[in-house]
Amino acid sequence: MEFTASKKAIISINNLSKKYKDLIAVNQLCLEIYEHEILGFLGPNGAGKTTCIQLICGLIAADGGSIEFHLEKNNKSPQQNIGICPQENVFWPKLTCIEQLVFAGEMYGIELQKSKKRAHELLEWLGLNEKTNTVASKLSGGMKRRLNICLALMHDPEILILDEPEAGLDPQSKVLVRNFIKSLAGTKTIILTTHNMDEADRLSDRIAIIDQGKLLKTGSPKSLKQSIGTGDLLEIVFDHSYISSLTGIKNSLEKLNFTVTEHENKLILYSKNIMQKITEVVQQINIPVQQMNMRENSLEDVFIHLTGKKLRQ
Amino acid sequence: MKKIISIIKKSLIEQIRSYWILILTVTMAPFFVFVYYLINESQKPSYDVLIVNADTGVQQKNYGKILIEYTQNLKNDTMPVPLKFKEMGSKQKAIELLKNKDADALIVIPDNFSEIIEEIKNGIDTTQATIELIGDLSDIKYMISAVWTSGIAQFFVYQSVNQKSLFSIKETALGLSGKMDDFDLYMPGLLILSLIMLMFPATIAFVMEVENKTMLRLKLSEVTTFQLITGISIIQVLIGVLSIALTIVCALAVGFNISGNILNLTVVVILTSISMIAFSLIVAAMCKTVNEVLIIGNFPLLLFMFFTGAAFPINSTSNIEIFNYPLTFQSLMSPTPAVLATKKILVMGMGLNNVIPELSAIVVLTIIYFIVGLLFFHYRHMRLN
Repeated sequence: MEFTASKKAIISINNLSKKYKDLIAVNQLCLEIYEHEILGFLGPNGAGKTTCIQLICGLIAADGGSIEFHLEKNNKSPQQNIGICPQENVFWPKLTCIEQLVFAGEMYGIELQKSKKRAHELLEWLGLNEKTNTVASKLSGGMKRRLNICLALMHDPEILILDEPEAGLDPQSKVLVRNFIKSLAGTKTIILTTHNMDEADRLSDRIAIIDQGKLLKTGSPKSLKQSIGTGDLLEIVFDHSYISSLTGIKNSLEKLNFTVTEHENKLILYSKNIMQKITEVVQQINIPVQQMNMRENSLEDVFIHLTGKKLRQ
Repeated sequence: MKKIISIIKKSLIEQIRSYWILILTVTMAPFFVFVYYLINESQKPSYDVLIVNADTGVQQKNYGKILIEYTQNLKNDTMPVPLKFKEMGSKQKAIELLKNKDADALIVIPDNFSEIIEEIKNGIDTTQATIELIGDLSDIKYMISAVWTSGIAQFFVYQSVNQKSLFSIKETALGLSGKMDDFDLYMPGLLILSLIMLMFPATIAFVMEVENKTMLRLKLSEVTTFQLITGISIIQVLIGVLSIALTIVCALAVGFNISGNILNLTVVVILTSISMIAFSLIVAAMCKTVNEVLIIGNFPLLLFMFFTGAAFPINSTSNIEIFNYPLTFQSLMSPTPAVLATKKILVMGMGLNNVIPELSAIVVLTIIYFIVGLLFFHYRHMRLN
């Protein structure tokens, strides 16, 4: 699904800035988040993702710029229309699953009976119905994560922010959570921050990559992958002792119209029909090669291409 | 209001499930009462006196035995008799006990004791009865035992021969020394100590929301600082009342005499509980974890325990007074007027009208704590932009 300007923006971020002493966490960020899309929010550690989320939630004040919410369905405040599932599990450890969901519902002004009904529905959807009366601290890691998602959704928010929703989950739970997130598509606007490129690729309608507080690129996973070259990708791995020679090889390959990214002891080449050009490539390499891999390019390649670094977490 | 009720319910569940914190909080002051009672009891003077009755009796009457019975039921108008009498069958065994310091003095009632008393009663001019006192003359405990025992024996003989004593002694207690002992003086402070201990569960209840990061959920739901604090505080006040009730029960069980009105005390208890919760807010504003509460909280705990009269009675004088309330460093801590008010109510049997300056001081200090705590807590933990 491609999102275009015809889609209705639910959040408009304009020239948003936030500074912590000398560190610019968010730098003139402009981004539109569309209604009912799943936006993958990618960036290395310290890129400014968490600060952006905190600014959107109103937990911290911006130094400049603005965030506009275009919410029409209800008269709740923007904060009350946001459900957040932070990376850390945030719940009341001494309360049972049902107790805390009902409590969270009541804090949003939902009536007790409605709150109980909604809590039971969520527990069932996320496979926690057998743990309804279990104290949260006694749940397994995966169950705690799912309870965290339930808490974020208890008040049926318009906007759902999921920070690393699959972190710490076993494969079965990952599938369950992934399917659950997919089931919300089209009914909720979801902002998904993750380091898992595969997760972002599978779930997101659109990806926004930020680094050093700046938005580097937005687009669908497919368009982003195409942006660094259509076709295949050749990854050539050298011994670390030859790192100083890589720039020279890179320059000579670029002269042959290859798109090349240098990363540590690797050179990554993007090109159509790269298999047919492999002889040309090999001729330019005058140092021993440790490994050569050919594959389709991925979001991680886009990420590295844009940020020039691997994920730091 | 619905949100406050929900927070009360949640806070109650959490308190019950954190039962170790609850148990330690409510039992701390009763435990202190028991410890103070034991200390007080161990410091009370008590002397062991052995009696060997050699009296052979006369006409089926044995005044030696009557004297022993008399010693078991001694009473004094102003203070308890500090002697414990024990009858011994053998003088040798009794002397062995004295030598081993298992007793302080030994009285030997002579064999002609009854005979001489009967002769005096019948107006016969007779010899004096010789009651022998045996003990370590260099031991102060012997000397005190001997003085008390001589007086008791003399009084018994006068009674037995139907003669009036040549003199009587009227003992006048200085201050409240005749009516109360150290334990009674410590008790009001210990009751307030049970409320000071409330500072920890109250602060922990606030800080747990920060440590668990659940404050994030509360902030996004737009729960106000007032709603959160009111909900948590109500449960803490109940814990305070429970704690003080247990302390009073424990105090009564070990012999504390309440001469005041319990309802008046309840007013002081509730006001002081609220005051401690208000102060807890200031501590909670400074902490982000329970560990920090335990470290930072110790400082005000020490101040409240040792500088307000809670753990030990203290005297403070001030030349500055506002409406009869002395202004000192201690008086800026709400437990100080609370201890004074409790003392007046419980020990001196005074009414609420007699503790108006103290109650006013608690209220004023509580308002100050609350305003500072609320603003500080909101700024540190609940601010939403």
